Amino acid sequence: MFKAPRFRSIAGLALVGAVALSLSACSASGGGDDASGDGKDLTTIGFVAVGPEGGWRTANEKNIQDSFSEENGFELKYAPATNGDQNSQITAFTSFIDEDVDAILLSATEATGWESILERAKEAEIPVVLLDRGIEPNDTKLYTSHIAPDNVGISASAAEWANKQFPNGGNYVVLEGPPGLSVVNDRNKGWDEKIDSNLTKLESQSANWSTEEAKSVFETILKANNNNVQLVFAQNDEMGLGAALAVEEAGLKPGTDVKIITIDGTKAALEALSAGRLSFVAEYNPLFGDTAIDVVNKAIAGDKVESDIVVPSVTFDSPEAAKTALPDRKY
Amino acid sequence: MSNTSSSSSSFVKTSVKQPYIWAIAALVLLLIINLIKDPSYLGISVNAVTGDLSGNLIDILRASAPIMMIAVGMTLVIATRGIDLSVGSVMAVSGAVSMEFMHDAGDGSLGSALMAIALALGISAFLGLINGLLVSIVGLQPFITTLIMMLAGRGLAKVITSGQNTSASNEFFRWIANGTVLGFPVVFVIGAVIVAIVALLVRRSALGLMIESIGINPKAARMAGIRPVGLLIFVYILSAVLAGVAGIFSTASVMTVEVAKTGFSSEMDAILAVVIGGTSLAGGKFSLTGSVIGALLIATLDKTIVFLAIPSSATPAFKAIVIVAICLLQSQRVRALFSQRRARTSTPRKEAVSA
Repeated sequence: MFKAPRFRSIAGLALVGAVALSLSACSASGGGDDASGDGKDLTTIGFVAVGPEGGWRTANEKNIQDSFSEENGFELKYAPATNGDQNSQITAFTSFIDEDVDAILLSATEATGWESILERAKEAEIPVVLLDRGIEPNDTKLYTSHIAPDNVGISASAAEWANKQFPNGGNYVVLEGPPGLSVVNDRNKGWDEKIDSNLTKLESQSANWSTEEAKSVFETILKANNNNVQLVFAQNDEMGLGAALAVEEAGLKPGTDVKIITIDGTKAALEALSAGRLSFVAEYNPLFGDTAIDVVNKAIAGDKVESDIVVPSVTFDSPEAAKTALPDRKY
Repeated sequence: MSNTSSSSSSFVKTSVKQPYIWAIAALVLLLIINLIKDPSYLGISVNAVTGDLSGNLIDILRASAPIMMIAVGMTLVIATRGIDLSVGSVMAVSGAVSMEFMHDAGDGSLGSALMAIALALGISAFLGLINGLLVSIVGLQPFITTLIMMLAGRGLAKVITSGQNTSASNEFFRWIANGTVLGFPVVFVIGAVIVAIVALLVRRSALGLMIESIGINPKAARMAGIRPVGLLIFVYILSAVLAGVAGIFSTASVMTVEVAKTGFSSEMDAILAVVIGGTSLAGGKFSLTGSVIGALLIATLDKTIVFLAIPSSATPAFKAIVIVAICLLQSQRVRALFSQRRARTSTPRKEAVSA
């Protein structure tokens, strides 16, 4: 009775020993490769991402994944959040630190709560590059660089367009993303700073970036104000398209009765703009993979990097402008 | 005449005793609050351009239809002491399947719409079957089983649409969510008919009693000759199919499936509707009427928040306060505090703890 288990445990120990030996042999040979590889090794990058959210996010994350390719000398580990949950992002971030990757790219689902984990990355001397979404409080010592289009500037340009369209004032509604995101705060900030005081804000509601919710929210807003709404500022394309559906359902005409402004500039939005269902689309350029590569390379080499890099974006204010841009729209 | 009046008064008497009476009270209260803000709130008018009836009540009925579907499915699952966390993801899968199919078909015909609906419901039923098999035959915890299905389903929806929000155009499919029949929104009519069929099925046969008996005491039920396996598979398939219907409703309203958003956290709305309707999360006795009222209440609450222009950062808190208030009013312990006549020895309802 005793013999069998004892034999098993001895066999087990032997097996563990063998595995350990072979592993150490592996790492030894790996080290040899490293030395002979002469810097041809892939740079490991951890990408703590948001995951599928809408057309813009898909374009952005695909662009980052395509840019950090093996041909360019990178191994990108892509970790999308589970249903936009910050906790899952922090878990992914921690495991990237434990794996000791060369650099971490972060698109945070929430603006706050990143201090301690960024502190850990700093201790491990892993450069962190924030993509698109910033953190709050914005402590530039905690990360290497923040690459994003300028949310404040983009929504300010949308507000200036609105001021020109409604010199005699009017009523408007803001459809915003989930409260607390840096994007939402910035887009509100740029808009509120620039919008004329003779335009009256009736309501500012979150529609969670969703077409379906935006439609449901805006149909109720129209009813609550007896259709007396002239302008909608939708903080992304999907919500703007939802608002357009609600406008049509109420028997009004988007573009003439209610003008809709959206931010992002995805293909769907430009198509709607060229059909006259939207009135103004401000692009929020998602294609900044090359800039990101540049920044990561500099950071790993130890060079100084600008802590805030703005990606240039354009605006579309007419169906014609949309039609010219549509054929080579990548997202 | 006297006969009908006495039966209607007894109906009033019995419904006053139901736990969902507080949900009805809250519903009326919300409508009154909206009426105070705008005296024409309940008015229904004919839209001159589209020719449809329009009004806030119509919007509420329309918004409540998907919640009603998943709430009814959830009620039966909860009655068997289970829970179905996968309904939101099944909604996304169903929406993704139907949108992807119609997008590829591209002809916008009635045939492709019906085919899309059949495919969507078929795949939903299959997901429900997996849930049912894992719970009944393998004996996994319903919470874990459906939690896995919740993650897997969302992933499946992303795979089907390759992570993109997919749109399609199909007049019939759009009509399901946006059209009207005799002035009523089509979604609500379809929803009400489905609820009526389910109610007839479980209340006019022994099915409802058998489901309750599994929930009250599985051992005793088995000894009485009730086989739980088939019943469990049945309720999980039914819940998934109803979630599939809800997915069709919510994607049809905008003719787009948003893989990350469609049905997101809908399982919570469904569970809330069930609890508000007075069905205990501990299983056993259930009330479909209560769940339908719960679904109506949640839709009204969502619409009221927008109508009153409550700031978006305060909306979750507002929703929570209303729901906590209803659950407190339903809990027997709190009610016993108000009416001293009730014996204190009566066992407190479990939902008061879990809510």
